Amino acid sequence: MSAGVGIWRCRTCGTGYFPERLLCSRCHTHDFVPDRVIEGVVEEITVIRHVLGQTDWAPRRLASVRTVNGPRITVGLRDESGPGTVIELFEEGNAPFGAAKAVP
Amino acid sequence: MSMNAAIIGVGQSAYVRRPQPGQSTHTFIRDAVVAALQDAQIDASEIQGMAVTSFSLAPDAAVDLAWRLGLSLRWLLQDTNGGSSAMNMLGHALRGVETGAASPILVVAGDATGLGGYAKIAANYNIATREHLAPLGHGGPNGVYSLVTTRQMNKYGLTKSDYGHMAIAQRAWAAKNPFAVYRAPLTMEEYLAAPMVADPLTRYDCVPVVAGAQAIIIAHPDRCPRGRAPVRVRAIRNSFNYDNQEGDGLQTGISTFAEDLWQTVGVRPDDIDVASIYDDYPAMVLAQLNDLGMIPDHDLATYARREIGERRKPINTWGGMMSAGQPGGPAGGLNGISEAVLQLQHRAGERQVKGARRAVTTGYGMTLYRYGGTAAAAILERME
Repeated sequence: MSAGVGIWRCRTCGTGYFPERLLCSRCHTHDFVPDRVIEGVVEEITVIRHVLGQTDWAPRRLASVRTVNGPRITVGLRDESGPGTVIELFEEGNAPFGAAKAVP
Repeated sequence: MSMNAAIIGVGQSAYVRRPQPGQSTHTFIRDAVVAALQDAQIDASEIQGMAVTSFSLAPDAAVDLAWRLGLSLRWLLQDTNGGSSAMNMLGHALRGVETGAASPILVVAGDATGLGGYAKIAANYNIATREHLAPLGHGGPNGVYSLVTTRQMNKYGLTKSDYGHMAIAQRAWAAKNPFAVYRAPLTMEEYLAAPMVADPLTRYDCVPVVAGAQAIIIAHPDRCPRGRAPVRVRAIRNSFNYDNQEGDGLQTGISTFAEDLWQTVGVRPDDIDVASIYDDYPAMVLAQLNDLGMIPDHDLATYARREIGERRKPINTWGGMMSAGQPGGPAGGLNGISEAVLQLQHRAGERQVKGARRAVTTGYGMTLYRYGGTAAAAILERME
């Protein structure tokens, strides 16, 4: 697990992308620099309760998240965070996950 | 507008939830092709062009299918645009006939993935899905459109029962379609009590995957069987990756061309007698109707309750994919076109909309990451 989620930011116009693009959709250059988004706000959630072809499925929570200074991404939620919650983002493999930001 | 090209025949295979031994994508496609040829009263040896879409034809390609069907062709297309494939193939086929490249042209779509096969396709739909969504356990398109549906409910003040009106109305139409896999009447109580699949989507919001195929035949209107009106396409428009996935998914690519579509034909939404709106999920039907300008004041909730709930508008009169079934994925789009043709030719039997002259058909699909990336719409008209 690594903190934050890797995104690709256009060096020319600053637009952040996830998943990776070949050209920036705004300025159509192809010079991207890696960046990380650390947190975001949960906008919508769902619980996947049934999946075709799966007989032993444990429900999974997913959320659409507006990242700070980055794109909207779909993450796996590791807690009961609901809409409006600020969550910390992290990666497992190439997949983004999140859980409520710890209170200091 | 195509003056020298029209849809002159349609055909479909049986639709089944689970293909039996001996049934495959190829055999379903064969059955649809045979039915369409018979319907159009055209011999297979006359076919000069073919367009096909399928998620489960591989490793075969279009030319393999031509070989297996014994068709020697001079025009061949394989389309990969998911729920928009049928509309895309229709446009190419019309232009192929119009320009003299080939005629008649057979347009066919079919799938027999089986439920397990469909799940594998859903998890490997594209690189973004395979790497960034499937590892979350997103459950295929249900996971994606559950989030879109919640967004739509929040933005437009829709309730769960608003979507139920659509499922119930389409089931009532399906009762009159002998090919539909689900024909028993559906009540609001049953709809609301259905098991949750991906909140807020319940069983009746999720299009049932079936095995089956559809085919239509495009040719000069003069080739239409005697006593039957050919159906011409007054205008057809497509959109691909219209917003780079940077919006909220509540608009589709149809929003980019709807005004041009209506202006080109010189009709308005009120002039439409029948609508075939691609119905992978109820939310996307409302989104497409809204983009087409068919929902007054963008009041989706009132439209769902009155126009759909009270059956004021004939929408998805074959039962839609939600009741008739969706063959795999891309094949589903041909259902709506075929139904529009039957309605405009006044051959829809018990579900015939009296005096139908014009129809709108749409396609929508290819979920890129947060929502679909392809969309299309056409205005079809009965030639008197």
